[in-house]
Amino acid sequence: MRTGIVTGAARGIGAAIARRLATDLDHLVLVDLAPELADTADEIAAGGTTVSPIQVDLTSDAGIHAVVGAVGANSLDSLVNNAGITRDARLVNMAAEDFTAVLDVNLGAPHRLIQALADHFAEGAGIVNIASRAYLGNFGQFNYSMSKGGVVGLTRALAIELAPRVHVNAVAPGLIATEMAMGIPDDIRNRMIEAIPMKRMGEPSDVAELVAFLASRRSGYITGHVHVIGGGRSLT
Amino acid sequence: MLEVPATIRTDDAIADLIDIDTGVVFQATEVDDDWDHVAAELRAAFDATKPAAIAGQPVVYIVSSDALLGRTGTGNAMVATGLLSAARTLAAELRRDGVPVNVLGIESDTPADVIVTWVERLLEVGGPTGELLQLGGTQIGKALP
Repeated sequence: MRTGIVTGAARGIGAAIARRLATDLDHLVLVDLAPELADTADEIAAGGTTVSPIQVDLTSDAGIHAVVGAVGANSLDSLVNNAGITRDARLVNMAAEDFTAVLDVNLGAPHRLIQALADHFAEGAGIVNIASRAYLGNFGQFNYSMSKGGVVGLTRALAIELAPRVHVNAVAPGLIATEMAMGIPDDIRNRMIEAIPMKRMGEPSDVAELVAFLASRRSGYITGHVHVIGGGRSLT
Repeated sequence: MLEVPATIRTDDAIADLIDIDTGVVFQATEVDDDWDHVAAELRAAFDATKPAAIAGQPVVYIVSSDALLGRTGTGNAMVATGLLSAARTLAAELRRDGVPVNVLGIESDTPADVIVTWVERLLEVGGPTGELLQLGGTQIGKALP
């Protein structure tokens, strides 16, 4: 049974990735802290893929164990570490607890989950870690960009350590039409869109298509790289 | 701008040679793959850097070029690349004030006096900001961090 895990699967990019992976895999373990996870899981299960929704906090040992338990004896074909949070502020105003919270969720959780699942990966499995274009630097996101830069380094180290059995890549989305992006004030968001050569926000499904490729055996010779998907925004 | 003393957290061989009145020089120390140790190292960088940002002082992080490419384990990779991205962000935040924030990539055998020469240059107002400078040349032909 081809099995995959998607974290942060309740909404936005994670839900789009889960929907797309459901067309490639037989069984999905979907993880999120948000209760909307049940709706996303039901929708995907209605299409015929078996789904195990796990509503846990991935910064806790119990959360990590619950995910490993849900994989059970299955070997894991795809893991997508997508769960993430923001607590934006300029560094001069950033509270220490906001710094730590973002690092724990965005970087600590994927690192610890991969460590816990190390013996479960199938030959040829694909790991995709969702970074962000902010790893290139982004005003007001000292904590977030540090966490996403860390995800890129984690990806490189794992690519070396887990080869040749598993390939590991990072995907760095730019401005994507999700609740997170809609939280940006309209005038600022419109200015950002104006600066994107493709003149639009990305859709979650744009990201999901790339992630599905990198999480599959079709991309087995691509490993240790960060793939920016941002409509050209990192050039302008 | 407030006057605060320089913060130097590096190997002793480097700290002994640095001669600066202001600024932060923070060198990543080696960590294992335990998340708690990685988190503590990144938190130490936050604690060292925030007062400097408030005071408008320049910052240089020193990391291992091997760690940037993931060659020395997940823990060191996360610290090195995390610091690089954080430096780029802080450089953007302090750019209008003319305060540089940079990263120096070194190799295990880079001499301390060479490191200090470049650290002091990267702290200079009017020079580069948001940049990674790597010493030694082994990064040539490898992935761009």
